[in-house]
Parts: sequence; structure tokens; C-alpha cells
Amino acid sequence: MSKEIVKEEAPSSSGVAPAESPAFASLRGLQWRINLGILPPSSSIDDLRRVTADSRRRYAGLRRQLLVDPHVPKDGTSNSPNLVMDNPLSQNPDSTWSQFFRNAELEKMVNQDLSRLYPEHESYFQTPGCQGMLRRILLLWCLRHPECGYRQGMHELLAPLLYVLHVDVERLSEVRKLYEDQFIDKFDGFPFEENGGPCNFDFKKFSDSGEDEIGSQGNSKKVCSLDELDPEIQAIVLLSDAYGAEGELGIVLSEKFMEHDAYCMFDALMIGARGSVAMADFFASSPAAESQSGLPPVIEASAALYYLLSIVGSSLHTHLVELGVEPQYFALRWLRVLFGREFSLQNLLFIWDEIFSEDNSPLDKVSEDSDHFSFKLLNSCRGALIAAMAVSMILYLRSSLLATETATSCLQRLLKFPESINLKKLLEKAKSLQILALESNKTPLSSAFGGAYNCTKSQMSSPNVPSVLVSPNTALSPLPDTYWEEKWRVLHKAEELRQNSSGKDTPSPSGKKRWAERVKFGLSRTESCPSPAREEKCKRDSHSVRRTLLEDLSKQLGLEEDAEKGGCFEASNLEDHHSVEVQGEGQNCAIKESLCTTENRCENRSGAVVCEENSSFFPDPPSPPGCGINDHENDTEKSSVASNLSVDDNDDLQRRSPEDSPHRVSLPPEDVSPSPLPENESSGKTSSTKERRNLSGKFQWFWKFGRSNVEETSDKRGGTNEAAKPPIHDGNRSTADSSATTASSNPHPISKGDTMDQNKMGTLKNLGQAMLDHIQVLESVFQQDQGQVGLLDNLSKNILVGKGQVTAVTALKELRKISNLLSEM
Amino acid sequence: MVLVLALGDLHIPHRAADLPPKFKSMLVPGKIQHIICTGNLCIKEVQDYLKTLCPDLHITRGEYDEETRYPETKTLTIGQFKLGLCHGHQVIPWGDLDSLAMLQRQLDVDILVTGHTHQFTAYKHEGGVVINPGSATGAYSSITYDVNPSFVLMDIDGLRVVVYVYELIDGEVKVDKIDFKKTTATTHSAH
Repeated sequence: MSKEIVKEEAPSSSGVAPAESPAFASLRGLQWRINLGILPPSSSIDDLRRVTADSRRRYAGLRRQLLVDPHVPKDGTSNSPNLVMDNPLSQNPDSTWSQFFRNAELEKMVNQDLSRLYPEHESYFQTPGCQGMLRRILLLWCLRHPECGYRQGMHELLAPLLYVLHVDVERLSEVRKLYEDQFIDKFDGFPFEENGGPCNFDFKKFSDSGEDEIGSQGNSKKVCSLDELDPEIQAIVLLSDAYGAEGELGIVLSEKFMEHDAYCMFDALMIGARGSVAMADFFASSPAAESQSGLPPVIEASAALYYLLSIVGSSLHTHLVELGVEPQYFALRWLRVLFGREFSLQNLLFIWDEIFSEDNSPLDKVSEDSDHFSFKLLNSCRGALIAAMAVSMILYLRSSLLATETATSCLQRLLKFPESINLKKLLEKAKSLQILALESNKTPLSSAFGGAYNCTKSQMSSPNVPSVLVSPNTALSPLPDTYWEEKWRVLHKAEELRQNSSGKDTPSPSGKKRWAERVKFGLSRTESCPSPAREEKCKRDSHSVRRTLLEDLSKQLGLEEDAEKGGCFEASNLEDHHSVEVQGEGQNCAIKESLCTTENRCENRSGAVVCEENSSFFPDPPSPPGCGINDHENDTEKSSVASNLSVDDNDDLQRRSPEDSPHRVSLPPEDVSPSPLPENESSGKTSSTKERRNLSGKFQWFWKFGRSNVEETSDKRGGTNEAAKPPIHDGNRSTADSSATTASSNPHPISKGDTMDQNKMGTLKNLGQAMLDHIQVLESVFQQDQGQVGLLDNLSKNILVGKGQVTAVTALKELRKISNLLSEM
Repeated sequence: MVLVLALGDLHIPHRAADLPPKFKSMLVPGKIQHIICTGNLCIKEVQDYLKTLCPDLHITRGEYDEETRYPETKTLTIGQFKLGLCHGHQVIPWGDLDSLAMLQRQLDVDILVTGHTHQFTAYKHEGGVVINPGSATGAYSSITYDVNPSFVLMDIDGLRVVVYVYELIDGEVKVDKIDFKKTTATTHSAH
């Protein structure tokens, strides 16, 4: 609370109230009058008084003019009034009686609302004096502005204004009691007696009066001069001096003129006083004249709210939009009454303090031919704060809103704002959002306009209004994203990347990323219904399996990417989230998934290898050590045992592959594989290299089959290889598909080779060895992951954790394939 | 600020078909708080129509009314004024002021409204007012055929009543008004 008197302040620019320390913080009524523009912000007490007096005069004149008493002859001119016009039944709209009846109509409507005003504070608001004042003010305002008329809710805007004036007057009376001597108008006890003067000073009388004062107050001290008082008290005294400028009419805190002041405040609030936010607009039902969107202003303002929300909390925004919760359902009440119905009176006063202290001047000219769409509401600091307040309220209810599934329950929660709230937090949040809102309104909206506002065709027809889209791609996100928002973001990035990189023949890391992203895009359809996808995964259908595996893969990839991004946000939270999420998944159907995914990985690897190698011939695969065929379920257990072995094997694979393959695929694996990478490195590379290793291994295995069989099979394989090759350029996914077809088509040539029984045993052996291969690959992956994740107890959990998931998954899938093959044979 | 409409002697459907259109356009629901009707409507449909203008309707029986259950006289208090209502064919000679004054004293009212003569009259008499709203439809009376449609609107406001007289003369509505102030407030004791 500032201790400065207004006249000592440095003169600031007109229209801007001093924001740091308001001069009359304890006198809300006065402060609001300054903020609303009725009183000049920084000037002498005298000026304040003069302006107050002027505004009161205007109101009194208005009252005389509009509140007609038909009995009283107008202006005294009509001695013989034209009774044909001026009789009560006259149909003539100009007659005083018609006016009288119109007023009566209006009054009836107003009375209906007033009787229900603030029942919880009825000790003040339901008193006849207060009601009468409210009624008159509303009537007069509506008569003055016939285009607006009276709408329900105006009384709720007016009531707190009157209340703060009332509080001010009470404060004044308190001060009066304390410092009665300052207000005293009695000069009877003045020491100068007529008979004798100072010599005959009547000490007794003086002491009596002194005692009286002391007796009555108890804490009033000796008579002190005006300048010794608190500056604030000083101001109050000066403002209320009956002999100051303009006399009694200029007493700024006056009970007698409360009605006049309240009317001025109400008028300023409704009209907006050259500002951007005019409450009267919110009551209008037709679009404003210069509106860009052609919507009624309150609808447009509600849209502004949703726009701001979409920037700040996109998940909540999309959730609300999906449910079909249009913003005006709740925002109408919020905006029209400036949150009057959502908060208790005291809280509301604090909120209005903040709102009114903001400047209301429009920030930029809203011109017809502006090249971007800007919201009128966000066009001023005050409007931006109002919007920000509303959005912070929505965000306050965020968790409960996200939990609801129906529009009605959402609306219920929004319309019944909780009673006990941390108002300070809300206001702080609102302030931070306000800056954001102002920013966002300046930048042109290329593609963003919150939600599906198809309410008017005019919106669509106007070329300036941006088209409807789900949510903007702005980079502003002051709040940390939740898991799902992250996913969404990643998804969108994936889309962009995909569009950027389609057709490029890039090395596997980005290629894998691309493919993964495309898969993730497919994932978006299934994200919201994880259980059906899970069921799908458990099916033994290769197609669905493949799709779900791809999704799984993508999810893991996405998680890996998200894990990278975790550094930017609250990393630990997210990672825990991820790991928990994934572990949960893993636990559910770890085994089956792992089985399924091995197939996928085989495809991946073969695809990647095909991508890079041009030759259709492949090096001799290492002879895998023989192992049991049906070891799928034992994978996890084995992995712990044979982990070291697998690492070596992988190295073997790699070493062999450079020997055999004349191309560069081997080089990256050599570089990357030996060193276990920390988690925050580009995970994609490691997994891709592992993939590549496995893929090369798989291809070797296939090649083995080809060799062991007759040329037919090799031809067929070659054919399938060639078939695999053309789709290379479509990207890895199709190669994965083609390799899948390769894999699936492989059994057929092999089965056709049944004629050669002696090769069967060899192939079986090879199969077994290949299986062991893959198991070892898995183990190696787990080995690497173990160090990073730190979960050692149940390796089944480890299956889907960390970067090695991809390779592990692929290996397991391949094992699955092998089992299929064997079953067919 | 109470508006009271006083009319009567419409004689619908026997002697007149309906109220004159200019009168009808003026009489809209919502403005008038009370209607007092001297009688001779004559049929129920007229009563229903009057009821639509204002729910508070008081009627006394005229000799041609088909509804037999209207009272002969009626008194009511509006604001500070006591009003008396009678058709007037019971008071002989018809339209005689002294006889009507007798009725006024008998009913102990400030304002007495009677009809039957189909002529508008308004007298200030002995601290009270005696008003005859005439015939709202201009129906011929037993005495004369030359009847102008007329009715009366009273604006009661505290201790003051303003009587507006609406007459249809040569197709035009003419309005006149009479002010009347009561000297003392209404007490429950007689006079």
C-alpha cells in the first residue's frame, strides 16, 4: 500500500494507472474509478474533486431527464398540453406516458433480477435503499443505451461496483470517527471568547471538550494538524472536505452520491471508455460492425479463450473439442459477468482489482484488411488478462476435466467452480498467460484456430479467418507437456520428417526413424485404445501381428525419442513415466510380444540390409550353434546366461559380415557395437546398428537356406530379393513389408525343396543355429540395456525397456518365424 | 399511479355491434389496473373481452344485462379513494345530481360512477366526484339517439385523481381532463 498522496506522484501518461503501487489501494472505489478512466489518474485532489462533481452533475441531469413523472408538466411550458397525445392511453410513442410505460416494462425486468441478487449478502444488497439505487442506475443506463437494452447479468456487474463504493464510505466514516477533529465544523468551542479574549481563556471549557474527545474515542490524541497525519488519511480528509473544490458535490467519498458514482463506473465498464474491452459488447447478440469474423462478440471472445488454451494446454483443448464442449457454454457466463458468478464477493474484488488495473487501450489498430486474424478480446492488456484468467481457471480444473468423458460432466465442472481456491496462484498464472496471450495475438495465425467453430457460415466465408484445425504448431509451451502431449508432438514431428524425407535413400538410422515415424503415425490411431491393439498382438495372424509389431516398435522408438526429449522437460518425470508405462506393457504380454516382434525385426533387418547392399548374394552366414527350437519361452532366462556369449557372437557376426559382404554395412556396426552407449545419445543409431547386425545375420541365414536348397529356391529367393529391392525407395516400411513377404515366401521355396530330404536335416540344423543366434542377440541387447535401466530382477521386464528393445524385438520375431517354418515342415 | 377505466352501456349486440375501432386500438392490455363497468354490456362475450384488458373487473347490473348475477351496486377502494359503482336506472330521476348525491352518501364513496343516460357528465359535488362515462359504443338510449361514444380513464395518484375523458366526436378522439384533489386521507370511520 503506497503511502504517497496523489499530488506528489510524478505525472504519468494519461490513461495508464500506476501499476507498481496504486495510490489508493485501500480505497477500492476510488482506485477503480481511476482505473476505469472516470477520474484522472494522477492529479491533485482538487482535480479529482472537480471531475467527480462533473460526472455527478451529468448523472443528475440524466436522471431528471429520463425518469419521467407524467404528472409533472415538462419544462413548465405545457399549460394546455395536447391531451390527444399526452393521455395515458395514447399510442403515440413520443408521449410522456408511453415513455412511462416503457420504463415500467424495463423496471419489471430489472426487478426480477435484482430480487435475486447476491442472496448471500442480502444484508446489504437486499435493502430497499440499495435496491432502489441499483434499479435506477440500471434503468437509466438502459434508457440511455437503447440499442443494448437490459440483459440479465448487468445487475451482477453493477453490484460489486456499488459495494466497493459502500466500503469506501464506511472507511471514510471510520476515519471520521478516529480523526473527528479534522472534520469538525463546530467552532463554538473555539478559545476566542467574546468577553475578554485570551486572558479570560476558559480553560475549563477547553479541558472539558478535550476530555470529551478523549472519553469518547479513547485513542484520539491531541489535536494534530493535517500534515502530521498519514498521507492516506490526509488524502481521505482532503477528499471529503466539505469546503474543498466543488463543495459538497466534490466530496469524492460520499454516501449521498453513491448512485451517481456507481453509474459512472458502470457506464465506463460497459462502454469501455475508448478501450478495447467493452462489456456491453458481450451482451450483444449480433456481430459487431467491424468484426472480422462476423460472430457475436461474446462468441468471438470465447473463441479467443479456446485459442489461448490451445496454445497453452493443447491436450486439454483437444479433449474439450472432441467432447464437443463449445467455449461459449461456460465462457458466456464468465465473460458477461466478469467471473462474478464463479467467485465469492471478496475474491471477486481481488480479481477485479487486477483486471481494472490493466490498461484498456487497444494495442493495435484492428483494420479490415489486416492480413491476419486477431481477436478483439486479446487486443488490449485488460482483455488479455481477462482471457488469461479464464484460461487459468480452465487449467485449474484440468485434471478433473481430462478425467471426464462426457460433455455434460465437463460443463458441470466448469460451471461449478470450486469454492475454496488458491486465488493468488490463479492470478499469478493468469498474469503469466496474459503475456502469452498478447504475444500470440500479434503473430499471424497461419493455421490455428481453436476447435471446430462451425457456428457461422460467415466465418468460413471470410478469407482472413484461419481454417479450422485441431491445434496449432506453435512452439510456445510454458507448461511441461504430459506424456500424451509429448506423443502428439513427436507424432507431428514424425509427419513433418516423413514429408521432408520421402524418397530419399538415406542410411539406416534416419531411415529407421522415418519408418518408425510412419509407424507412429499409424500408432496415433491406436494410441487411444491400447487394449484392442494388445489383443491384436496376441493373435497369431501375421498381418495383424506385423501391424501391431510395427506399432510396438514405433512406440518404443517413440519412447526412445521421447527419452531424448526428456532432457528438455522434467526429465525424471517423463522417463519414469515412460519406463513405468512400458514396463506395464511389457509385463502384460511380454512373452507373446517378444515372440511376435522377432518376426518384425527380421523383416527390419533384412530390409535395411537390402537397402544398403546392392548385391543379391550374401556372405556365408556363421554356423550358429545348435539349440533347441522351442526355446521361445526360455529366451528371457537364457539371455542372462548367455549374454556374454551373445556379445561375442555379435562381434563374430560383424566380423564375418565384413569378410563376406563387400559393402559398407559392416563398418558402422563395428564402430558402434563395442561401446555401450549412454542413454542420452542418439539411441536410434545403436538400435539401428544392432538391427543391421541382426538383419545381416538373418539374411545370411536365408542365404544359407538358399545354398542348401536347389537353385530353384535360390532363384526364388533372388527373385524375392529383387522384389525386395525395388520397394527400397519407398522407404523402410515397405521394405520391411517386402522382407516380410520375403520371409513368408521363403518357407514356400523351402517347402518345395522337400523333395530333398537330406537337406532337411541340414536346414533344420541351420534353423536351430539361427535361432540360437537370435537368442544371443537378444541377450546382448538385454545386457546393454541392463546397465542403463538398472532393473535386474525380472529380465522379462527388461525386454521392452531401453534402446535394445528394437533389436530384441526383431530377434524374437525371427525366432517366431523359425518356429513357424519348422511347424510347416 | 393507478389507472382505472370506467365505461358502460355498450348494449352489444342489441344496439351496437362493437366498440369503435379507434377506442379499441387504444385499449391495450397491460396499462390499466382496474376496470369498472356500469352495466348493460349485455352479453358474456363483452365481459370476456374486458377481462382480457385487465383481470380486475367490476360490473354492476344494468336492466338489459343477460347475466343476472351482477350486483346492483358496488364499492371498492383504490389507493386513497373510495369508488362507488351503480348502473343508474335505479336512481330516479335518471341522471339527477341530487339523487345521485344521495346514493353517494348512502354508499359513502368519494367517487361515484353511474351510467344509463348515455351522456358523459362529471360533477364535483360535496367533496366528491360524480362521473357518468356515457356509452362506450354510442348506442342509443331511451332518451335520445344522438349519442357520442365515450369513456373515462381515471389516474389515481395519492390524494389526487386525474380524470381523462375520451370522446369520439365526428370520427376523432377528443381527450379532456379534470383534476380532483381530495382534502383528507381516507379514514375508516364514516366521513
